[in-house]
Order: sequence, then structure tokens, then C-alpha cells
Amino acid sequence: MSPVLQVNNLRKSFGGIHAVNGVSFEVNDGEILGIIGPNGSGKSTLFNCVLGQLHPSEGEVRVDGQVTTGMRPCDINRLGVSRTFQLLQVFPQLSVRDNLILAGQEHQGTMFTRLIGRSDAGLGPAADQMIEFFRLSHLKDQMAGMLSYGQQKLLDAAMAFMAGPRLVLLDEPAGGVNLTMLGHLRERLQAYHAERKATFVVIEHQMEFVMALCTRVLVLAEGKLIANGAPEEIRRDPVVIEAYLGHGMNAA
Amino acid sequence: MASFIQLLVSGLATGAIYALIAVGFTLLWQTSQTINFAQGEFVMLPAFFILIAMNHGAPFWLACLVGIATSVVVLGILFKFIIVDPMLKHGVLPLVISSIALALFLKEAVKDFYSSQAQPFPVLVSAGDFHIFGAVISSQSLVVLGVAIVTVVGLHLMLNKTRLGRMMQATAQNPTLATILGVPVRKMVLYTFLVNAVLVAIASILISPIYLAKFTNGETLGMAAFLAAIIGGFNQVRGAILGGIILGILDNLSAAYLSSQYRAAFPLIILIVVILVRPQGLLGRVEERTV
Amino acid sequence: MSRAGVLAIALFALGAIIAPFMLKPFGIFLISMWAVLTIAAIGLNLTLGYAGQVSMAQGAFVGIGAYTLALLTQAGVPYPIAFVASGVLCFAIGWLLGYPALRVQHHYLAFVTLAFTTIVFLLLRNEEWLTGGIYGVNAIKRPVFFGWNTGKAMDYYFFCLGVLSVISFAVWWMLRSPWGRAFVALRENPVRALSLGLDTRRYTLMAFAIGSMLGGFSGALFASLVQFIEPASFALNRSFDLLLMVIVGGSGYFMGPFVGALISVLLPEWMRITEGYYLIIYAALVMVMMPLAPYGIVGLIERGYKSLTTKRGQQKPASVVAERAAP
Repeated sequence: MSPVLQVNNLRKSFGGIHAVNGVSFEVNDGEILGIIGPNGSGKSTLFNCVLGQLHPSEGEVRVDGQVTTGMRPCDINRLGVSRTFQLLQVFPQLSVRDNLILAGQEHQGTMFTRLIGRSDAGLGPAADQMIEFFRLSHLKDQMAGMLSYGQQKLLDAAMAFMAGPRLVLLDEPAGGVNLTMLGHLRERLQAYHAERKATFVVIEHQMEFVMALCTRVLVLAEGKLIANGAPEEIRRDPVVIEAYLGHGMNAA
Repeated sequence: MASFIQLLVSGLATGAIYALIAVGFTLLWQTSQTINFAQGEFVMLPAFFILIAMNHGAPFWLACLVGIATSVVVLGILFKFIIVDPMLKHGVLPLVISSIALALFLKEAVKDFYSSQAQPFPVLVSAGDFHIFGAVISSQSLVVLGVAIVTVVGLHLMLNKTRLGRMMQATAQNPTLATILGVPVRKMVLYTFLVNAVLVAIASILISPIYLAKFTNGETLGMAAFLAAIIGGFNQVRGAILGGIILGILDNLSAAYLSSQYRAAFPLIILIVVILVRPQGLLGRVEERTV
Repeated sequence: MSRAGVLAIALFALGAIIAPFMLKPFGIFLISMWAVLTIAAIGLNLTLGYAGQVSMAQGAFVGIGAYTLALLTQAGVPYPIAFVASGVLCFAIGWLLGYPALRVQHHYLAFVTLAFTTIVFLLLRNEEWLTGGIYGVNAIKRPVFFGWNTGKAMDYYFFCLGVLSVISFAVWWMLRSPWGRAFVALRENPVRALSLGLDTRRYTLMAFAIGSMLGGFSGALFASLVQFIEPASFALNRSFDLLLMVIVGGSGYFMGPFVGALISVLLPEWMRITEGYYLIIYAALVMVMMPLAPYGIVGLIERGYKSLTTKRGQQKPASVVAERAAP
């Protein structure tokens, strides 16, 4: 069986700067892969290239063996790759429930059937389930913009799961979230992973979160992959410590 | 050839006026995301301030100073504090609507309270023609060109060579960074409104003898400012100058050599092509977008 | 939809049916104009209010629709076919005009559509062989359906009201379908929408095309209402006027265009006593209203109603978050 995601020699430069400079890795079915690295090491650019928001300068991306480089984000998403964003990306003027239905509605039928069909595109029950799962039931008819920051983060993650994706890319899910909410989020992600056997790739600064959640960790620095291994190995790797301290950041 | 030179010079003169209007327009956009749909009316109005001053017996030069000063107060300070500031937090579109309403307001106010007829407006220098290479060039064109060039060069020097100008540019390009660097951003934003008010007043003095002072003048002038700003580059003062000059020359040449019926359409077609092919304008920077 | 909303719409509809019986012919002309312009405003509200695509071209589409109907019926084409053709042509042109929206947004799009409006005006004015130039087209017929002649003011009003009802229902249906959700997503955060599988390109073009089509239908009704059309009716001012209607009524609110068009049509009449100063007052009112209620009259009513009915009353608009999160 081929890996869920293959990234081969990916490069992306802006002007003269190589944000991602020849990165290759694979993600296997059912894995939770963490990607860490100092600010500006190319993590988000990597995600943007995988989901088609940016076109890589060189190299290719495969999802389930199929080359997706050059495809539009909406088409890649419909292949079963979804993501969350570093900055909040919910639709503030839609209700929590509508946010979730939206996240699923484009994965079924055609433009025409969506126009003449039911208002909730038949996704009402699935959305309610997802709301239940992330324990947002008391907020389901609220406008998403009125939720707290942490609640919006949960909703953001729930939206990424709504269409039952094969692969979920989570861009700093813990960023700016308080400790209680963080524990809740991690626990929900783990529960989802256990229940649906989904594959995750997580970018995160919050080291404890990564170590607790991920089965394997990649380290990026200056657009290059500098380490790849189990969380415990990575924590002790001198190269990694050097990369972080070299940028004046604290690894722990 | 002679008529070509004539057209070129008068095109340059018109273009220089457009450039003044467009520069002010881009300055407002850069510092406060204000797309001023009333910019044309801003050029129409100072001529009437001047006419009113002259009706009260002021000589032309004094009336011009009064006109510029009144513009600074009304189109600079009042415009910023009454119209723009309350709208900024609501985003770009409501402000666009407000400025469209303001344009209508100014136009109707002049029509109802001054006159709906075109008013003769004094020229800076009395007529007289020069002959260069067989081409007849009116002294008026040269004066317009001269004043516009002095203004643009002066503005350029002010923006690039003085501390104040550099602070204004820093504010325009990156207000957050400018704040961190200790630039008094709010004051700089106000200054750009004042600079715009002076520029439109000068443009008004230059263009009113040619078009006559009329309440509808703003419609074409405003359009010219948008076109010049976009063709040259919305976020660059140099771009607006280039855009204005291109537009002025194009206006004159197309009227002479191409269908005059569709004279107004050529700049629009260029606009559409520029926006589609090079949305940042000829000299503009790409406004970086990241996910 | 809330019970209060249904009640409000029912009252509005009842008013629209009763009104002509209490009005003189000129009054009936005015409310017919309201029905006609409401259709164009609904179209613009779809493009701008829901899908977030700034368009200053709606007046041009009203013009294209009006000329299409006028010229086709004069060439002997049956009214229903000419009417449909007005909408279809505008749909096609609107679709094409949507392409720039795929490349540029916000102010750039405003200027592209503004340029488009001016070019359409020039074409209408200059292509005399087709459009009659500045002399326009006159003696435009009103339709007869199965013996029902809509020639009289009252009959034509009910025809316009009928078309408005059908279009309102269709748009309401579309907005409550997944499309409505997709349009809002397009407005609020196209990048996120794209990552959730929304084909933003197709929805953007659809928003433009359908909005323009409604402009075309409005124009077709407009032509038969005034029975004389000239290019000046469809210059930039018409687009600005429609834009003001949508914003003043409440952009992104279903009832916004109905209210906005009503104000735009009736205000000049109510302000007859002010004689020539009506436009000044209108402009001043818009300038005063914008900072106080940028979400328009319907938005103001809805917010007021909500803060009365909800105990917590925390109606904080979330647009700040949207802007911060947008790319």
C-alpha cells in the first residue's frame, strides 16, 4: 500500500528566498506526524504547497499515489485532504452548524443538485454529530464570530473533519489556546483518530502538545528537513536543539 | 509633425493635471484605505471657493490663496474628521458609499447655491502663443505644465528628501512598523489629507480656465484620477504621475487620430487590460498575499 | 426564518397589493418603478451583499436588458421570448464580467465594473444604427398575455409585481440552499472556502451571472414601464443609485433591496417640498447613516429586534475577526 502523502524534493522560493528547500517525506496511513521548527522554517509554506494554495517551484506532492501538484485547493480537498489554518478561519457570519454543513456540502452531488436539494444538503445530522463530538452543542445556532477564540479553534478543527477526510493537516491547532481548552482539543483529536483511523499532520510550536499527540516528528529549519524520528529521539537530538537555540528559541 | 508636437504638449499639460489629482488619490488610499470617489468633485470645488473670494473683491492671486486655504480646511481637515474617520472601522465599502454620497452632495450644493452654468475662470497668464518647430504652443499649456511640474517635483522632494516626507512614506507603506519606529502615524495620515487638499486646489486652478468652472466637472476628472492611479500603480506616487501623463497624452492623441466618439473608451480599455494583466499597475508593487 | 420576519414580509406583500387601489396614476407609476428597480437591487445584493463581489455595473445590465427587450419587440419578436432573452444575454455578459473578479478583488473590481458601465454607455450612445443613439428607442410596447393587456398602469404594475414575486421566491430558494451558504463563504473568506472544497471560481461567476441576469430582467420591465429609453438612463449614476439602494436598505439582508428601492423611489416625492434640494438631503442622509448603521436599515431593524428579544443581547459584529483572518 502506498503512503497517504508523499512529498518529493519540494522547493518553494519567494524572490530569492527558499522558504522550502528540497523537502521529501512520507506520511503513512493512520500516522500522526508532527512537524516542528523555528519561525520562518517553512512549515506553513509546506502546508500551502500540499493543499495547492501555493504552487511549488519544484518537486511534487502525491496523495494516495496520485500527483496533486498543480491542482486547485478545492479539488485536492475533494480527494480527501483537509486543513486548518494558523490564523482563525471560520465563517463568522454563519452559525456553527452552517459552518459545518458548508464544510461537507461540496463533497456530494453537483452544483445543480445542491441548488434544488435540501437546505442542509442532508448533512444536518452529520453536523449535529460533529458538534456533539467537539462538545459545542450549546453553541450550535450561535454565529461563529461570537464564539471565544478557543471555541473557534475547535470549530475550525471540526470543519476539517466534517467531510471524513483521508488526511488532515493541522496548522498550529494549539496556538493561542488556553491550557484547559488545549487538553480538550488534544483529547478530541486523539479520540477522532482512534475512532476513524484518520491520518494527521500537525504543525505546532507547543512542544508538549506535539510530544503527547504525535507518533513521529519531523524537524524543519531554514526550509530543510534536519531530523525525523520518534518524539523522544527528537527531544534529545543535538542538531534539533542547536537549530532552536541558534534562533534564540526555547525548545521546551 | 507640427500638429503632433502641439498635441503632445497639450497632452502633457492635461496629463500633468491628471497626475496631480491621481497622486493625491493614491496618497489617501495608501495611508488610510480611502478610495475617494469624490476626488473629481474635490477638484471642481476649489475653483468656486476662488470665484466666491473674487466676488467679494479679492484680487486673483489672493483669491487663489484663500481657495487653497479653504480647500485645506474643508477637503482636508473636515473631510478626514467628519467623513473618513468614523467610517474606517467599517471597512472599505461603506467608505466608498460615503464618498459617492459626498460627491453627489458637493455637486448639488454648487449647482443649487452657486450656479448650474459654467463660470468663466481667470487664467494664470494671459494668452500668447509660442512657435516651436512650426508648432503653435499656447502659453497657457506651458504655464500649466510648468506649475504642475514644479508641484510634482516639490512633492517628490518633500516625500523623499525631508524627514517629514520619509515619515509620511513609512506611514503609507507600513503603518504598524512606522508606529514601532516612533513615527507619529496619526499626524502623518492627517498630513496626507492636507497634501491632497493642496494638490486638488492647484489642479483646480490649472484646469478651470480650460474647462470653465462647472459643477459637473468632477465626473470626468474623478474618472481620470482613478484611471491614472490604476494604470500607473495604485500604491506608488511615481505610478500615479506616470499614469496621469500617459492618460493625458492618450486623451489628446486619440481624440485627434482615432474615433472621437470612442475617445473616452480607450483609457477604459487600457484600464481593463492593465488590471487583468498587471493589476499592481505599471510601476506598482505587488501587494503580497500569503495564506 | 423567524415569526417576526414572516409577519413583516406578509405585511409588506399586503401593502404592495393594496397600494395601487389607493393611488393616482403617477403613484402607480412610482410603485411600478419600485418593483422594477427592486429586481435589479436584488440582483446586486446577491453579487455584492451575499457573494461580496463589488460591482458598479448593475445599471449597465439594466440598460442592456432594456435595450434588448425594446429592440427585439420592435423587430417583431414575441414579448415572452424578448423578455427571456434580456435575462439570458445579461447572464452571459455577467458571466464574462465575472472573470476579472477571479483575478482581482475589492477596489480593482470596482474599477473594472465601473469601466464596463462607461463602455456600455458609450456603445449605447454611439452605435446609432442599433440603439438610435441619443434619441433612444420609443413607443416600447407592454405585453398581452392570453387576452390580459397590461397596457394600463394598474395592469402593468401587477405584472411587475408578479415578476418580482417569482424572482423573490427563486432567490429566496437559492439563498436557503447550499448555494446561499457558499456565497456567504465566498464573501467572508474565499481562501478557507477553497480549502473546504468550494469551487470558488464557479460560485463567483454564478454570483455575477445571476445578479446580472436579474439586472437584465429589471431592464426589460423598465423599458415597457417608461416606454422610452435613452442611454443617459443607464449611465454610471444608475449604477451608483442601485448601489446606494442595496447599502441603504441593508446589503446581505434579503429584505434590504426592497426597502432600499422604496426609499430611493419615494424619497424624491416625499421631499417635493424641498424642491431642488432633494439630492443634497439624500446625499447628506446617506453620509450620516453610513457611520451609524453601515449594515443599512433592515440590518438596523434586525439588530434592534434581536437585542430586544435576546436576553444576553451581545450582538457584536464579527467582521473584525473576518478581516484579521482574511489573507
